[in-house]
Amino acid sequence: MHYEPKLNPGDILVNRVKTTSWKCVVVLTNKALSFAIAVISLESTIRVEKKNTDLRNSPELGFCLSSILDQWQWLFSVAKGGVSSLQSPLAQSLPSDLPSLLTSEISLSFTLNLPEEGLLGVRSISTQVVRNRMKSVKNIQKITKAMKMVAASKLRAVQGRAENSRGLWQPFTALLGDNPSIDVKKSVVVTLSSDKGLCGGINSTVVKVSRALYKLNAGPEKDVKFVIVGEKAKAIMFRDSKNDISLSVTELNKNPLNYAQVSVLADDILKNVEFDALRIVYNKFHSVVAFLPTVATVLSPEVIEKESELGGKLGELDSYEIEGGETKGEILQNLAEFQFSCVMFNAVLENACSEMGARMSAMDSSSRNAGEMLDRLTLTYNRTRQASITTELIEIISGASALEAAK
Amino acid sequence: MVIIPANPSLMLSNNDVYTVVDMVIIPATTGQMGVLPGHVATIAELKPGVMSVHEGNEVTKYFVSSGFAFIHANSYTDIIAIEAVPVDQIDPTLVQKGLADFTQKLSSATTDLEKAEAQIGVDVHSALNSALSG
Repeated sequence: MHYEPKLNPGDILVNRVKTTSWKCVVVLTNKALSFAIAVISLESTIRVEKKNTDLRNSPELGFCLSSILDQWQWLFSVAKGGVSSLQSPLAQSLPSDLPSLLTSEISLSFTLNLPEEGLLGVRSISTQVVRNRMKSVKNIQKITKAMKMVAASKLRAVQGRAENSRGLWQPFTALLGDNPSIDVKKSVVVTLSSDKGLCGGINSTVVKVSRALYKLNAGPEKDVKFVIVGEKAKAIMFRDSKNDISLSVTELNKNPLNYAQVSVLADDILKNVEFDALRIVYNKFHSVVAFLPTVATVLSPEVIEKESELGGKLGELDSYEIEGGETKGEILQNLAEFQFSCVMFNAVLENACSEMGARMSAMDSSSRNAGEMLDRLTLTYNRTRQASITTELIEIISGASALEAAK
Repeated sequence: MVIIPANPSLMLSNNDVYTVVDMVIIPATTGQMGVLPGHVATIAELKPGVMSVHEGNEVTKYFVSSGFAFIHANSYTDIIAIEAVPVDQIDPTLVQKGLADFTQKLSSATTDLEKAEAQIGVDVHSALNSALSG
């Protein structure tokens, strides 16, 4: 019979060593699933009723380790604070003379099959806890690996489109130039971010750049507003710049991006926001691991006209003949709106592309981290297991040799 | 003569790489416009119509929906179109059907917005129609 008592340091075991005398032992430690025993004599205070003398086991069992364990079951009693009753279910079927087979001088150490849960004051690492941790790390790794795969396939789908769409804004930049430093009264910062997280720092960088642009362009008689695209930047910007946000749009990336969708968004922004210059902040996709926070500036038709007439940064525009339309202003209006939609289309695609790339590399490094953690845990687990086996062996051997000596 | 028609659905050239051609005829809002090397610098708005690219004896025709053309003084031309489709890829029966649909919508339109939308549909489809027949 195999018995697994739950012992805690401080528990008191009651042992009847002679028919008339009792000894009590206190569990001092259960280091490495064993416990040492100290002898304390409590003869006068402990009483145990013996009910049955039926021999369940032969007396010879007394010195065999397993029978000692059996006896301990009978002898075992949790006696914290001087309690002295037998609680073993076997207490009624124990031989009365069996205890006498034990020496009166108890100085044995037993190795018991204690359950693996962490016991109070356990000094060894419980392998159960480590095993659970290993399991959860493994699961996390599975998830991050899957997310990496998904991001990689989505990236492939969107990368070509993003690169092709660069052709859309290049002619505008060739014609109008890029004027991020233009000084205007009403600036609108359009911040593009992702709806979902777990994609590295791309959202925090666009927010940082947007805030910097705000500081650069704000001033007396100068007004800066935000237009936020995407859940993540919205969540960050709402905390401190709530009053400056004039429009926020989310869930743009739910369906595959197309020009019609983006032009509707651009139209919404143009209708609802007054501006002299739109500054679109997004992450330009360079490679799977490199994204550049980028600012694209789109000027309002009035500013374009003023700048070109004054011969400022857009001076060259005046040398172009303008075909069609009633007035130059009308064409410029169309041109600026078209430019905005084209730049937005590219920016949204670039940002989606960067998001996927960033997610891919973020998930890749978390999978690697999980792998490293798993390796460390496995090492700890094996080492602990090995140590406990060694200790158990030593204790069995020393227990056996102590018994030998007692013979 | 050099062009870049850039659009989301069809790239005629790679980014940054201009195609060298002899002449391009673009459908500006003011009428068809032939662009040859040395053309005066112009900004032109496009209307739905046929853009033909002449390369030696070869003529490639595209139907463009709308957009802008920037003709630079240095004989470079940028043409930006939202949609550009080779004319031979257009299905005539669908064009006829679309034209009929929008003509009917135009006659039954009540608000100004509906009218304008239907008018755009009719314009595009009749331009497509004439592109196919012409």
